Amino acid sequence: MTQIVPNASMAVLTDPAASLAQVMQAVIDVEKTVAFTRQTRIGISSNATIELLGIFLRRHAILSGVRAEITNGNYDDPIGDVQLFDAAQVEHIVLVPFFDNLLPSFEAQLGGLAPAAVASKEAEFRLRYRLTFERAKAFRTVFLCLFHRFGASAKPGADDAVAVAVARFNDALREDAADFGNIRLLDMEDIIRSVGRAAAFDPRFYFRAKAPYSAVFLDELARRVVQAARGFGKHFYKAIALDCDNTLWGGVIGEDLLNGIKLAPHDYPGNIFWRMQHELADLERNGILLCLCSKNNAADVDDALRNHRDMVLKDENIVLKKVNWNDKPQNLREIAQELSIGLDSIIFLDDSDFECAEVRSQLPMVRTFQVPKVLSEFPRVMLEIKELCLAGGISNESRLKTGQYRARAEAESLKAEFASHEDYLKSLELKVTLTRNSRTSIQRISELTQKSNQFNLNTRRYSEGEIARAMEDPETAVYSLEVSDRFGDAGLTGVAVIRYAGGAAHVEAFLMSCRVIGRGVENAIWGHIAARAALDGCARLEAEYRPTAKNAQVADFYDRLGLTLIEDLDGTRRYGIALDQFAPPHTPWIEVFYAG
Amino acid sequence: MLDELALKQVMASVLNIDAATIGENTSIDTIESWTSLRHMNLILALEDEFRVSIPDDEAANITDYPLIRLVLKHLLEG
Repeated sequence: MTQIVPNASMAVLTDPAASLAQVMQAVIDVEKTVAFTRQTRIGISSNATIELLGIFLRRHAILSGVRAEITNGNYDDPIGDVQLFDAAQVEHIVLVPFFDNLLPSFEAQLGGLAPAAVASKEAEFRLRYRLTFERAKAFRTVFLCLFHRFGASAKPGADDAVAVAVARFNDALREDAADFGNIRLLDMEDIIRSVGRAAAFDPRFYFRAKAPYSAVFLDELARRVVQAARGFGKHFYKAIALDCDNTLWGGVIGEDLLNGIKLAPHDYPGNIFWRMQHELADLERNGILLCLCSKNNAADVDDALRNHRDMVLKDENIVLKKVNWNDKPQNLREIAQELSIGLDSIIFLDDSDFECAEVRSQLPMVRTFQVPKVLSEFPRVMLEIKELCLAGGISNESRLKTGQYRARAEAESLKAEFASHEDYLKSLELKVTLTRNSRTSIQRISELTQKSNQFNLNTRRYSEGEIARAMEDPETAVYSLEVSDRFGDAGLTGVAVIRYAGGAAHVEAFLMSCRVIGRGVENAIWGHIAARAALDGCARLEAEYRPTAKNAQVADFYDRLGLTLIEDLDGTRRYGIALDQFAPPHTPWIEVFYAG
Repeated sequence: MLDELALKQVMASVLNIDAATIGENTSIDTIESWTSLRHMNLILALEDEFRVSIPDDEAANITDYPLIRLVLKHLLEG
């Protein structure tokens, strides 16, 4: 947001006790007066009336710094809605199939319906929703709300016909959704549990207008949608920087010594810290990088990591250690630099009021969490951290990241021993595999276009559907590159989208993961891309650089690649060169394999 | 006591109109944004604001300003 936020209105939006009318007015006021730098469009589709969800989505979007425009679908027409949303340039869809309304008062009917009748309803429902998913493939995200029951069971504790049918229909939804990478499931029963069954529904409007949900329920649903969207692409947390004393264990290692710190699984409060370490280890398995950022003697902390019998996190789970007496903002800056990630990709966890305040004031882009004074609250804080890290879903390749980053850190330390940079590069035995239209990598390619900010020439985000379409389109080619060296396999870490038009190959997008920058890989692939373009009848290569807040490091990339600057319009730089004059920098230390 | 200004402000917020224009003639027939869907939101917002529960039958029928005022007065003042 670029303008001063009207404080009173923002206060209303953060106040859980604000009345519905106050929230509506505040949403309108903030949207009217604040110039948002980020916007998104959300479509809502349901077989129930949930118009009020739009207000709450706008509320929670504003709280993440995004202006959301809502398009309401028609009643019970998901396939038609997707078409409507496409025309309205919607990015995210919230799909809310409501179980009791699949047939009139379906829950009440179920006990008396023949199994064949239920099965045929299920078949019809699946067919419609599969078609909906298929047509919604090109949207960035589809938030699919799982079914839940509307009426409470008259026999609590026993599974009645409704419970059985809801579970079965949910299995069908899960199974069908699993084929689509852009679908995120939302557990509605969990929302009902958290707001309370009695508060979740408003039967008055259900029977009059098919509007079953209360405002409280829809507010919580909206909060979870925005959270699952990670503030609509604004936040991708990649690393957690952890304090040690009273964060990873109870007590102070320098004073309480190895056997004095509290970390025993069966004793309070050690059991809380032990449990939190397990949670962190789980995040690490899911691709989140764990770092230490602690004011301590490095040897004491190493001793704890290696020799404490109850330590869950070991050396191999920690990608980077900043254990010293420097101030924490300085250490966090170094962590960002050494891992080649932005400070806004880092979560910082510490117990100290002072350290948290210092990081919050000096590095507001770092997401700071404080270990609560009441330790039994710690799991709640950890859950919030986990939700932030995992909400968007994680693809397989992300899970191997800690290993890759560590291999890279080792490479950094080897660097000093070589006489020249090129000697060093040669010793890496770099191999690059360039693949054209790799259909098995669509998910990872799309993910990379969503996540890369720094080495990204155009900062165009592609959904999986868009990548798939570009691969099918004869006028377009999607190149992806995989990098490996003798330290490890960095995986798919670069993407170039080339569009052929009017005798020119136009670079629509080019981006790379910062993990592999600085070794010439970014230059090594262009010989092949240019040769293929010439084969396809092109005479020119054209490209452009679009500036963002994050990508200054590549502002002159195309100059360095050897293209000629044609024009510079407010920082957007257009380049071009005849293919027969194009000579990208020589990279003899890289072996390039070209696959298709 | 019913705070009529507060009532007008709630209606203005939900219906996205200027509170000063709300008067005796304001009704679902005269306000374009007052649709049946918005009406539901209006009832929810009124209940939330004045901490009352509007009975089912009345909720559907109070579709002009004087009627809303009457029902709320009744609920608040007994």
